[in-house]
Amino acid sequence: MKEREVVIGHELGLHARAAAKLVQLSQQFQSSIVLVRAGEPQSVEADARSILSILLLAARFGCTLHVRAEGADEEEALEKVCEYLSG
Amino acid sequence: MKDSEKIIRGVIASPGVAAGHAVRAFDPQFISFNYKLKLDHVNDESERFNRSVEKSRQQLLRMQTQLKKRSGPESSFLIDAHLLILQDKLFVDRIIAKIRADQINAEWAIQQVSDELFEAYDKLQDEYLRERRGDLDDIVRRLLHNLKTNAQPAFKKLPYDAILVGRAIPPSILFELRSRCIVGLVTETGSPLSHTAIMARSLEIPAIVGVEDLSGIAPGQLLIIDGDSGFVVCSPSKETVEEYKPRMKDRQRAARRSSGSAKPAVTTDHVTISLGANINFREEVDAVVATGCESIGLYRTEFDFFREGHQPGEESLASDYAQVLKTAGTAPVTFRTIDVGIDQKSWDGVNSNLGVRGLRFCLENQDVFKTQLRALYRASVHGTARILLPFVSTVDDLDAAREIIADVKQELDRKGHRYDLKVPVGVMIETPAAALTCDLMASRVDFFCLGTNDLIQYYLVVDRSDQSVMHLYNPFHPAILRCLNQVYSLLQPTGKPITVCGEMAADPPSAAVLLGLGFTSLSVSLPALPRIRKMIRSVSFSELHDLARQLLRMQKPKDVEEKVRATVGVSV
Repeated sequence: MKEREVVIGHELGLHARAAAKLVQLSQQFQSSIVLVRAGEPQSVEADARSILSILLLAARFGCTLHVRAEGADEEEALEKVCEYLSG
Repeated sequence: MKDSEKIIRGVIASPGVAAGHAVRAFDPQFISFNYKLKLDHVNDESERFNRSVEKSRQQLLRMQTQLKKRSGPESSFLIDAHLLILQDKLFVDRIIAKIRADQINAEWAIQQVSDELFEAYDKLQDEYLRERRGDLDDIVRRLLHNLKTNAQPAFKKLPYDAILVGRAIPPSILFELRSRCIVGLVTETGSPLSHTAIMARSLEIPAIVGVEDLSGIAPGQLLIIDGDSGFVVCSPSKETVEEYKPRMKDRQRAARRSSGSAKPAVTTDHVTISLGANINFREEVDAVVATGCESIGLYRTEFDFFREGHQPGEESLASDYAQVLKTAGTAPVTFRTIDVGIDQKSWDGVNSNLGVRGLRFCLENQDVFKTQLRALYRASVHGTARILLPFVSTVDDLDAAREIIADVKQELDRKGHRYDLKVPVGVMIETPAAALTCDLMASRVDFFCLGTNDLIQYYLVVDRSDQSVMHLYNPFHPAILRCLNQVYSLLQPTGKPITVCGEMAADPPSAAVLLGLGFTSLSVSLPALPRIRKMIRSVSFSELHDLARQLLRMQKPKDVEEKVRATVGVSV
């Protein structure tokens, strides 16, 4: 399992269009990819292949996400997803 | 125990008291019902859901291709989002899991999962993201719609005491309403004058409309509808149920008492008022005959016509109409030809009250009109039929309709069908144009009916389906009194009979005003018959005439109403 922190670089945050693109990107990998937004009262987790869960993260511009990838291509998956998220 | 009770208020659309279990009518367009599955149906149901997902996906892909052709790739990203929702585990897998685990139908599972997601969205701080629930809402509608095409006879699976709860109850539900298991209706939109409300009254199903928020009502929840006071008790305590029980029984007894022994509708000064019944479904004819009613003054044929969801054939219509006439026996039946367009605002957002409805629709769709006319004429040999044309606004419309009728007769002659040569043809006065020119139409028709519901709507510019203007709908408005008075004066010299068949005739005080203005023929829904008969038997026709002269000089609707109630209110 690989993990990394990334700051959202999309001006509008992870909104519909950005979320859709993230799902399409994540689908290219075999690894499972999870986004975690630390917060109060509890952290929110999202499956990068589920557009509804990504939208429910409500991750805005400048928000820090913890990204976890696990699977055969976890390294590349983490790299590309983080690259996309940082804008 | 009382703590768990919740009371929500609304507007009374149909009186009465009923207790039952909530069934959510999910959406005004794609109404669906919730039911439990047998264990061995779970796989079929999951498959049914999967087919709906696949069908939705194909539709979206087609839309996307078209959009890309027209406006480039950028504009189609919203469809991407929809497609991604369709493959989202959080949504699709959960729905299938629900179908299997809870053994519920796909519609119900979709509703539960989407409700959970909606709730999560509503909690978001971000307004833009909160609005994304709209995308989910779209998908939900699409899935439900695509499930619908499998034509499930869903209403057969209703609990025996279903209370239908929904944002709006659309015309398509009117048939289901007849099934005896629906005991009540609660809606967020609609008004007491919507067709659904009229139907609920004629079927004696309590109904409350204009309830602000129904989202708190869960499917299967026990409800009591108090259609006399205008509220719904959610999850009533045992004590409350006990309190209501006698009222439910009283009502049933009162209904039984009212049928049968019909005394003649004669005023205290011996003026006989012709009192007919309005019906919406052919099955109601039996009940009319049982009450000893002398005529069916208005049969709104569109409900039976569209009952199967598609246009009926001439043969089945002809045999249905023949059956109606045979059952009615000597009582004449006034068939109002189909009035399409009513209450369609809830369907497509277009206010068709000012558009193509009634005769306008029939003139534009002559095949449909001719089919119904041929069926009516063929049935006419089995009883006493009258044909009533709705929503006429010019003499030209009337002439066009008469030409079509002449064509139909010739066609029947050619085919050797027998029919009553002298079926009376009448016009429904329900537009201001018809009210002002009824005397010009008189030579072309045999009788008139006065539809007060629409007439008031158009005279006072009050949309019957718009809750926000309902308080302005008032049959006691001086404009309405003047209009009715004028119609009476214009028609009296022509000698053509006229029957008032709107809701105004079904409410004792406003019906008394109609008598005062000179009208001697009324037609009302079955449940209203006893109270109108009672009113007629308690008033003096000549005194009402004097009262009406005073009313015509008054300035304010409120004063008119108070005066009427003060004069005839004690007895009615």
